[in-house]
Amino acid sequence: MIDAPDFSFAALSPLLLVLGAACIGVLVEAFAPRDVRHPVQVGLALTGTVGAFVATLLLAGTREVTAGGALAVDGPTLFLQATIAGLGALSILLFAERSLDPARSAFVVSAAVPAGSPRDRELVTTQRVQTEVYPLALFAIGGMLLFVAANDLLVMFVALEVLSLPLYLISGMARRRRLLSQEAAVKYFLLGAFASAFFLYGLALVYGATGSVRLRDIREAVTAESGGVLMVLGLGLLVVGLLFKASVAPFHSWTPDVYQGAPTPVTAFMAACTKVAAFGAILRLLYVAFGAAEWTWRPLIYAAAIISMIVGAVLGLTQTDLKRMLAYSSVAHAGFLLTGVIGFGAGGDGSGLAATMFYLVTYGLTTLGAFAVLTLVRDGDGEAGHLSQWAGLGARSPLTAAVMSLFLLALAGIPLTAGFTGKFAVFRAAIEQGAWPLAVVALLASAVAAFFYLRVIVLMYFSDPVADGPTVGVPGLPTTIVLAVTATATLALGILPGAVLDLAGRAAIFVG
Amino acid sequence: MTPETAGVVIGTGEAVIFWILGPVALAGALGMVLSRNAVHSALWLVLTMLSLGVFYVVQEAPFLGAVQVIVYTGAIMILFLFVLMLVGRDSSDSVVETLRGQRVAALALGAGFAALVGAGIARATQDLPVLGLEQVQGGVGGPSSGNVEAVAGLLYTRYLLAFEVTGALLIVAAVGALLLTHVEREPGSRQTQKELSRARFLTDRPQTLPGPGVHARATSVAAPALLPDGRLAEDSFATGIEPEQVEQMPRPTGREQLGSPDAALGSLDPTLSDTPGGRTGGEHR
Amino acid sequence: MPAEGLLAASWLLIALPLAGAAVLLLGGRRTDRWGHLLGTATVVAAFLLAVACTVQLAGLDGRAADVELFTFIATGELDVTAGLLYDPLSAVFVLLITGVGSLIHVFSIGYMAHDPARRRFFAYLNLFVAAMLLLVLGNSFVALYVGWEGVGLASYLLIAFWYTRPAAATAAKKAFIMNRIGDVGLALAIFVMFAQLGTTSYAGVFGSVGTLAGGTITAIGLLLLLGACGKSGQFPLQAWLPDAMEGPTPVSALIHAATMVTAGVYLIARSAPIYDLTPTARAVILAVGAVTLLIGAIAGCAFDDIKKVLAYSTVSQIGYMFLAVGLGPAGYVAGLAHLLAHGFFKAGLFLGAGSVMHAMDDSVDMRRFGGLAKKLPITFVTFGLGYLALIGFPFLSGYFTKDAIIEAALDRGDVWGWVLGGVAVLGAGLTAFYMTRLMLMTFFGRPRWDDGVHPHEAPTVMTAPMIVLAVGSVAAGALLVSVFPLADWLAPVFGEPAEAAHVVAPALVGLVVTVVMVLGVLTAWLFVGRREVPVTAPVRVSPVTRAARNALYADTVNESLFMRPGQWLTRALVWFDNRGVDGAVNGLAAGLGGSSSRLGRAQTGFVRTYALGMLGGVVMVAGALLAVTAG
Repeated sequence: MIDAPDFSFAALSPLLLVLGAACIGVLVEAFAPRDVRHPVQVGLALTGTVGAFVATLLLAGTREVTAGGALAVDGPTLFLQATIAGLGALSILLFAERSLDPARSAFVVSAAVPAGSPRDRELVTTQRVQTEVYPLALFAIGGMLLFVAANDLLVMFVALEVLSLPLYLISGMARRRRLLSQEAAVKYFLLGAFASAFFLYGLALVYGATGSVRLRDIREAVTAESGGVLMVLGLGLLVVGLLFKASVAPFHSWTPDVYQGAPTPVTAFMAACTKVAAFGAILRLLYVAFGAAEWTWRPLIYAAAIISMIVGAVLGLTQTDLKRMLAYSSVAHAGFLLTGVIGFGAGGDGSGLAATMFYLVTYGLTTLGAFAVLTLVRDGDGEAGHLSQWAGLGARSPLTAAVMSLFLLALAGIPLTAGFTGKFAVFRAAIEQGAWPLAVVALLASAVAAFFYLRVIVLMYFSDPVADGPTVGVPGLPTTIVLAVTATATLALGILPGAVLDLAGRAAIFVG
Repeated sequence: MTPETAGVVIGTGEAVIFWILGPVALAGALGMVLSRNAVHSALWLVLTMLSLGVFYVVQEAPFLGAVQVIVYTGAIMILFLFVLMLVGRDSSDSVVETLRGQRVAALALGAGFAALVGAGIARATQDLPVLGLEQVQGGVGGPSSGNVEAVAGLLYTRYLLAFEVTGALLIVAAVGALLLTHVEREPGSRQTQKELSRARFLTDRPQTLPGPGVHARATSVAAPALLPDGRLAEDSFATGIEPEQVEQMPRPTGREQLGSPDAALGSLDPTLSDTPGGRTGGEHR
Repeated sequence: MPAEGLLAASWLLIALPLAGAAVLLLGGRRTDRWGHLLGTATVVAAFLLAVACTVQLAGLDGRAADVELFTFIATGELDVTAGLLYDPLSAVFVLLITGVGSLIHVFSIGYMAHDPARRRFFAYLNLFVAAMLLLVLGNSFVALYVGWEGVGLASYLLIAFWYTRPAAATAAKKAFIMNRIGDVGLALAIFVMFAQLGTTSYAGVFGSVGTLAGGTITAIGLLLLLGACGKSGQFPLQAWLPDAMEGPTPVSALIHAATMVTAGVYLIARSAPIYDLTPTARAVILAVGAVTLLIGAIAGCAFDDIKKVLAYSTVSQIGYMFLAVGLGPAGYVAGLAHLLAHGFFKAGLFLGAGSVMHAMDDSVDMRRFGGLAKKLPITFVTFGLGYLALIGFPFLSGYFTKDAIIEAALDRGDVWGWVLGGVAVLGAGLTAFYMTRLMLMTFFGRPRWDDGVHPHEAPTVMTAPMIVLAVGSVAAGALLVSVFPLADWLAPVFGEPAEAAHVVAPALVGLVVTVVMVLGVLTAWLFVGRREVPVTAPVRVSPVTRAARNALYADTVNESLFMRPGQWLTRALVWFDNRGVDGAVNGLAAGLGGSSSRLGRAQTGFVRTYALGMLGGVVMVAGALLAVTAG
């Protein structure tokens, strides 16, 4: 006789909403007539994500372990789930933009048609879209929601796969430059599988060492016998799998290629949401399961943070493609986020968790906005991503240039933008925990990184426009909403971060 | 769980099986990676999978052993082979490594990783006591229940969420596979047999088109058929492929090849030149 | 105490004009038709709110209200909050800014009626009002600094409003750069405060400034003074203010006469607790005030450009205020009273000048005016009242406030008291001289204007504000000294007014000043009024006149004092920079770029390379962890 495990459906509701919407989306794909699919899918996806966002808000204050102990619904979970659901909803809006591309979508008509074949050339101008992207994106969001809540390494692994697999697929679905997009998808898939294998191996080793995959049991085992070889090795491999997802150097090599190749809305989605999910899992794994063995992994995270900041900032300098540049910026920001992880402190008494969560919100919003601006500037062959094409944009389209400048300034961490507040919070948390050398390196890396952000601004405002430069599209309602929300939030979190910082501070207690 | 409670001793049979099948499984894995032929790789993998299945059974996990054999060896590997055969088993990729130092570095790092992990595991498992199934399985599904029940118990309690979310993973996989392979037809874009037939009979040429010129000298469908006079038959061009120029046999045109003209058949050409195959000379013999 | 009621809404004072500016700037041409009305309405609304707030403030114990706006960052021990402080001192300024501001907005509706960019003008004006209110309402030096830079920006934009004129563009740049010099001083002062005291809020700084070493306090005081000099056009940074007259006249009236240029006085008055501790810095303020007072007055005597004369008059009058606040507790109230009175009559004078220019096709050359009294009766009367108030005609506002300053100077009782008092009296005579000269050349005598100029009185929308300001000019002094004594109102800030032992009887001082003033008027009449004014300025003049015409060589002095050494320093720095710093910086940049490309080479695009890199990372991770655990 087996006793059924307890399932708190309320606590699971964000997850159920998103995954449910995804399943319905698959059915819609199968049964709905072709011409209603797009609106229905968009509506469904928005309902799912916004619903999940609202559900997390309603759940605020919940602290429980449910689903037979596999799921921890606590402050960090709900904060990050709200972040993911909100950013996910904005990404869906970017996906749904239909007025920028002459063919009315950034996504391919039919992913199965070989790129460059006559049929493909025929389809380039049709206005149909492969609407499977919406359910797939929903599955990815569902995986992310589960990822940050996983209280169990096995669930964490399954969530990792659920969030990764759809991303591999939709990375390869760009309408233009399809070969590049497909190449990106294959690279992401292969390297992602490689990283997953490490994660799985680590999981097996930790299970071998502790006899359980439950984070709580692991913590007990770690406290009893700190630093068994098997367990530490397992921890290292688990961390590798997570650092890959968070694009921390030296596990970042996929980032530029995939960011560049994937359709820009998908890149925006990956950059914003995956980062949040990955850091949520890193924080939970390190502090809930391995908090007692902090001394084993602290040097590792310390080094990874430094390498990531330096690699991201230095490599970003010579990029000539904006998407690649933002990819390296993402690597550098992963390093900054790790300083926040260090700032959590051995006993979890530091402000690092709140700081990291706040940083994730600001970074997600800003980077989403920056990619949204990228979708506006286009030439005959889709988006005009080369730096030289952005010269003199300030004269041609002042509003676009101004919004882009805002996002770039925020990414550079200039005061009165969200980026500054976030950086300030994580650096301060790190310094409080005695990691001031890390903060010094972080400041230097910020200075180097600021150079390439500011270069774009200089280029936009102080260069003469190129003769046959790109056109700046007029965004439709979805992109306009995204830009408005992200720009407002970037400013608001820079000027009045108090409320959100406070919220993050109150949410920053793990249950487990 | 102190060592004293560990009352299980590894039997001789188990040890023998392990020491035989262990190397076999490893060899299978290595063979899978090192084979150039994809079918061979798949078969090597089958070997490894089967060995693992036996291990499971020996470890008192019959359910896992059966699943291993049925699902991996039976279903998945057969699908692999099917696909390989369909795609063509000799689609050989270049195996020349173009990146300098890549192989050496990969070997070194791989060996390093194996050494590190191997050493770590060896050190950690050195003096571990051996526990029996009963002890490890504990109370799930009752202490005396078998492994199958215990697995079921875990699946429906402790790992229920993981198990259910795996469903999402499968949906994604299925949708993804369809996405990447299934070309959706436009409604009405495919003509019916009747329409095709009608269209064909309305043209000047209701009969079948000539096949491609697949001869001993060209195995490709890109080679067009030749008309009797040596010109290319344009009707035989394969759709979607540029016609390939096939090197022709030297055509017998001169007198030396054809011999003297047969009077009964009449002269082939009264003004043949001396030059073989040429018609430049205009002089009579 | 925390603000309640209306005072809690005092942030609206700033928000209203700011919203106006935002709507006008973002709304674009759509708002052209009604933009000026909106711009005026926000400032008038702010004025009404300010009046209500001040009335409420008057009823409060302690007469101060803290308005906490928002917490910028509050984590751990670091607590950065932004807030407002509504106390008697800020209330006085808020009323002046919004009151005079409203009148000038109304005036501008008429003055700028024919300018195609009127909407932009009102947007900038609104922006200025918002920034200026933030400057006086902020509860910390940082808030003050934000407002300080805001008014600097607005001033720059407004001076260069007619940016197509090279003179306007140059003047704007000059104003901007000279203000920057002052701003650096202010910023440094704030840095020093933060570094030494860990706070920049007024309450925090004033509460603990006494714990600092004397030298540090003096340094802070002098740095603040540098900032004040830059913004208020005081020696040696006075040269930008007359040039700033290139902006539209309402701007000159509002920003460069009534409000922004008095920010320096506000800063010093606000920092009274700091200056109370440092006699050295106070002495420097006195010197600056006295020197500027004379320079402004002398230069004012020589110019033929009506706005420049008024500008130098402003420089000179602010010199009086500096002199007053430099005197310490005895002078704060006198200086502020003069500031308020000056705000009224100088704004009125500038609006009058604007009206004259309006009538004379934008000419500013007084030699081509003359006899306008009959043509522009309202302007003449209002301008005349402002003139009388400025020169200190008995019982008009200037008389009360200027006398108070001279008395306060004399009350020092030492020899410096006599020197300063003497300078101030001399200044009063000079003021009477140049202002009378201005009056005579503009409104009296034979008309000297060109053919084709048909002077006409301005429309009501312009004359009404002038009338209001004229009434203010007449009454402000008496009101501030006797009816609503400013000293009592400001007592919570500067302490109860002490009954000073007068060295010289006030009545005597009044008499002497009046006599000197009359002498100045008579001299002017002898020089200008009796004779025909030549249409072109005479070339052969005395060295004194030449010096005065060159504004006492202020530009030359600036050039040799700041520009030349600056250029030399720049050249030296450039040399050093090229050889030393640039080498290092370029080397660093090249090094980063080089390592970037080298590292970038690892990004081959091949998955197997990436996987190799990851494997390398894994080996490192595993190795490091094993080392940590085993070691």
